[in-house]
Amino acid sequence: MAIVEKPLSLDAADVVVANRPLGVLTRPKGGNGWRDWLSTVDHKKIGVMYGVTAMFFFVVGGSEALLIRSQLAVPNGRVLSADVYNQVYTMHGLTMIFLFVMPLAAAFANYLIPLQIGARDVAFPRLNALTYWIFLGGAIFLNSTWLVGGGGADCGWFCYSPNSGVIFSPSHGVDFYAIGLIILGIASLVSAVNLITTVINMRAPGMTWFRVPVFTWMMLVTQFLLLFALPVITVALFFLMFDRLFGSQFFNPDTGADPLLWQHLFWIFGHPEVYIVVLPAFGIFSEIIPTFSRKPLFGYSFVVFSGIAIGFMGWGVWAHHMFVSGIGPVSVAAFSLSTMFIAVPTGVKILNWIATMWGGKIWYATPMLFSVGAVTMFTIGGISGVTEALAPVDSQQTDTYYIVAHFHYVMFGGGVMGLLGACYFWWPKVFGHMLNERIGKVHFWLVLIGMNLTFGPMHILGLQGMSRRIDTYSAGFGFALWNAVATIGAFTIAFSLLVFFFNIWKSKKDATHLPKPGPDPWDARSLEWMLQSPTPEHNFDVVPEINGLDEWWHRKYGYDDDGKVIRIATVEEAAQKGDAINPHLPSPSFWPIVVATGLPLIGYGLIFNLWLAVPGGLAVAGGLYAWALEPTDDPDGPHGGHHDDHGDDQPVVVGAESNEES
Amino acid sequence: MRKPSRRTLFLGFSVLLGLLLSGCASNAELDTLKPKGPVSREINTLSNWVFIAGGVVLLTIFVAVIYIAIKFHAGKPDNDEFPEQIHGNSTLEIGWTILPAMIMAVIAVGTLITHFAVNSTEANAMEIQVDGAPQNWEPTVVVVGQQWWWEYRYYLSDNITAADLKGVSAKDLPPADIVTSGQMIVPSGEEIELIITSRDVIHSHWIPALNGKRDAVPGRYSPWKIQADNPGVYFGQCTEFCGLSHARMRMQVVAVDNHDFQVWINNQMRPAAVPAGAEALVAAYRNDESATLPDNASAAARGAEAFISNCTSCHLINGVNDLSYTGANQVSGAAPNLTHLASRTTFAGAVLNLYNADGSLNRDDLSAWLRDPAALKDNASTDPIPRGMPNLGLSENTISDLVAYLSTLGPKPSMQQIHDTQVN
Repeated sequence: MAIVEKPLSLDAADVVVANRPLGVLTRPKGGNGWRDWLSTVDHKKIGVMYGVTAMFFFVVGGSEALLIRSQLAVPNGRVLSADVYNQVYTMHGLTMIFLFVMPLAAAFANYLIPLQIGARDVAFPRLNALTYWIFLGGAIFLNSTWLVGGGGADCGWFCYSPNSGVIFSPSHGVDFYAIGLIILGIASLVSAVNLITTVINMRAPGMTWFRVPVFTWMMLVTQFLLLFALPVITVALFFLMFDRLFGSQFFNPDTGADPLLWQHLFWIFGHPEVYIVVLPAFGIFSEIIPTFSRKPLFGYSFVVFSGIAIGFMGWGVWAHHMFVSGIGPVSVAAFSLSTMFIAVPTGVKILNWIATMWGGKIWYATPMLFSVGAVTMFTIGGISGVTEALAPVDSQQTDTYYIVAHFHYVMFGGGVMGLLGACYFWWPKVFGHMLNERIGKVHFWLVLIGMNLTFGPMHILGLQGMSRRIDTYSAGFGFALWNAVATIGAFTIAFSLLVFFFNIWKSKKDATHLPKPGPDPWDARSLEWMLQSPTPEHNFDVVPEINGLDEWWHRKYGYDDDGKVIRIATVEEAAQKGDAINPHLPSPSFWPIVVATGLPLIGYGLIFNLWLAVPGGLAVAGGLYAWALEPTDDPDGPHGGHHDDHGDDQPVVVGAESNEES
Repeated sequence: MRKPSRRTLFLGFSVLLGLLLSGCASNAELDTLKPKGPVSREINTLSNWVFIAGGVVLLTIFVAVIYIAIKFHAGKPDNDEFPEQIHGNSTLEIGWTILPAMIMAVIAVGTLITHFAVNSTEANAMEIQVDGAPQNWEPTVVVVGQQWWWEYRYYLSDNITAADLKGVSAKDLPPADIVTSGQMIVPSGEEIELIITSRDVIHSHWIPALNGKRDAVPGRYSPWKIQADNPGVYFGQCTEFCGLSHARMRMQVVAVDNHDFQVWINNQMRPAAVPAGAEALVAAYRNDESATLPDNASAAARGAEAFISNCTSCHLINGVNDLSYTGANQVSGAAPNLTHLASRTTFAGAVLNLYNADGSLNRDDLSAWLRDPAALKDNASTDPIPRGMPNLGLSENTISDLVAYLSTLGPKPSMQQIHDTQVN
């Protein structure tokens, strides 16, 4: 177990070197080249890899979105065939949810949670590496269907049975969907266990639950949602996989199956999934808005408790996706009510963020623009969501573009814009230089205008009766104008992404001759800003003692006798220097990537030829054995200072550390 | 940077609002905000209230955000001046937890009332004549979805209910008095109960002007209802993704007055007309014997022969192959019943016009459809078990004969109906 009541301190040089443990395997050394990235267990590097991968798939999913919008720009569009359109819209949804928003949130979770709670790394560093490599393998596997599976899945991300059966979807696309999501689910599930353990066990001394930053809180709720939601979808995906590959009959109505079984299983996962996508953004708003309003978050405990409430209530609303599926009027009524009332904790959060701005001294730096924009856009999505909660109204709105508009306002307006703001906010902490503010503001306005042009008209289209998931529409329905506008909007968003990439490139180029941002460029509040930028590899020189919420802010500022805020320390005085000598860090390992390579191989084996699964199985089993057998530590590596916090009777570091890693 | 941005924002929202209002005023056939019957009107009333309430809340929040954003703007901090550090206000926070809960409670009451009204049915049996005998008919239509068209089955002689069909496969429904496709003819002013099911994947039946939607789930018989105030045509679209031609799975409800409905019943109950010269051929076919057409047979008679040799393994025409028909060679086991094809105004899942706007037969589309159905509407007819009409490789002569024959399967609908049901 990784119970570190008082984490390591590194202030002395009383190094204890363990004997070289038994074992044929050695841990690789860190370095600077590609070997370092492949073997790293550093939560920061893993976070960066998650982020880069997520942005790559943002481009992939965005290109798919542009294909969709090009097809629908005019009536009877024929950019894509109906078949390819169905594949593209399916893969757009899967890519954006599973390969972009979730991993981008995971990037911030990995990078920031240990920093915000004052920890050296996550609880299980090698597991953390494993989750990234499994995720990457799953992502490549899922998309390899374009090349080897006969096209993408063509059943929608929801993939309702029996349309997902072999008869109705004979290509391998749905097989890749089922196995790909199982693989991605393993990554998220392992990551959830790791991060939950980290937050519960590795908080700095004095960081009680109500001193935990809201971002970490919301991420914790998100990880619990993942922990309980993913097993449900995994069961459903296994059923689907067995139906398709081995002829089981879980979803075949001709043999007495009820196709609604899939819908229940899918949405018991699928609805919490919505909160999995948007709760990280809630955490981000709660960090950014106070910082740029120069005020503490209004009603910290209300924001935290409403986040927890959303986490619980999110389990009781799944059937609102099934109001018209014929589940009977009484159950529809019950889910209609529960859905209406989940709006309450969400509304509380919005009002708390607004109240945080009230009376503040607001600085509209790019992160703040994104956050305020995201809160307002999310509000639009929240209110359209209330109209959909009313079952009779929903019977008109469901499966129309009104729904498409709604969830894009929630997921793009709230989730993605929040995450983009987070990129600007934490960029200096991660890369040691700021992103260009002027270009950032252009980026923001392009995104805001682009998303409203794209998704705003979809409300109208939906109310005009335009169905979702149609590959084209006739001229006679009056859909042409608003589809054209939406297409212009989509290309505006695409252009904004290019501006963002340009900003990344230019800011890096300019960083050589601009002053360094220092540890705390935004005058922020939580612990990560106590560290140098970019974050030193070992995070904290000395684990800080936590005396209250917004610990870092309180180390800079105090109150005079009149209750007026006065500075008590400069950033330079209060920040850690990043100069710990020989800090003890978890050793790198190649076994996570070996284990992760096995899973896609097993997947290809299940689909094409079971013999392929043999090397895959060997990689997983062998990798796990080697993982268990390799020394828990590099005996020649640095071991930091003396370990009085472990107790004087526990001199051997390796013994203690062996429990810290999985 | 800041000031023009705010103006841009304001301008943007004004433009959006203006566009929103003008957009809703356009005349879309599937418009959800133009109810044409009591059920959809009830939904629309609820929807209007929630849009007003939501609009007020949204406007309040937007005004608050914009006001606060402007009022408390301070620019990049260049000193250690801080505003008052307020950590919260429990009274306020409890207040804004309870207030939305109370707004929701009010909306919930209205929702439940509407919800149970929309899901209730009334007994409204009407007097009709079936084969000259009076019948007390509770207006009910069994709606069956399959890739990618809708079938409507009328059980006039017995009042069928969803309970009667429990456990029955939709591929094996009891014989109906009238079977049609793409167009549902109903008496206006009457509540029509629908029993909705599917023969393959999940579809969703939706006539926005008359009610919300209800999924067609294989193995289930879901109750629903529609009601039109006045005679007229009401368009619909399948709204649950059902595969390749989901976009091209449409339908129409044609509401007529009670007299016209009775006329329609009388026409539909007759077997199909047999073209002059093909009587012997059809009679022989029904007796499992063979016969040949006279040399001077009409195009329609040759078309009947072509139908018998090319189409009977899937399509059914009462009076021709109803004795030997065992179901279609399709995953769904069904193909549209063509007995009175020419009495309808659309075909191929209500995406093609059977008649031109001037009332003449749409020979072009019908011929093109017979030539290569997949060219007009994507399908999976080359799969091992087909889904959708295959390309039969018919010669141009056969196609023109079949068109001649199919156009006799009337009676031809009124000009009004042809005009009102035009699709594009």
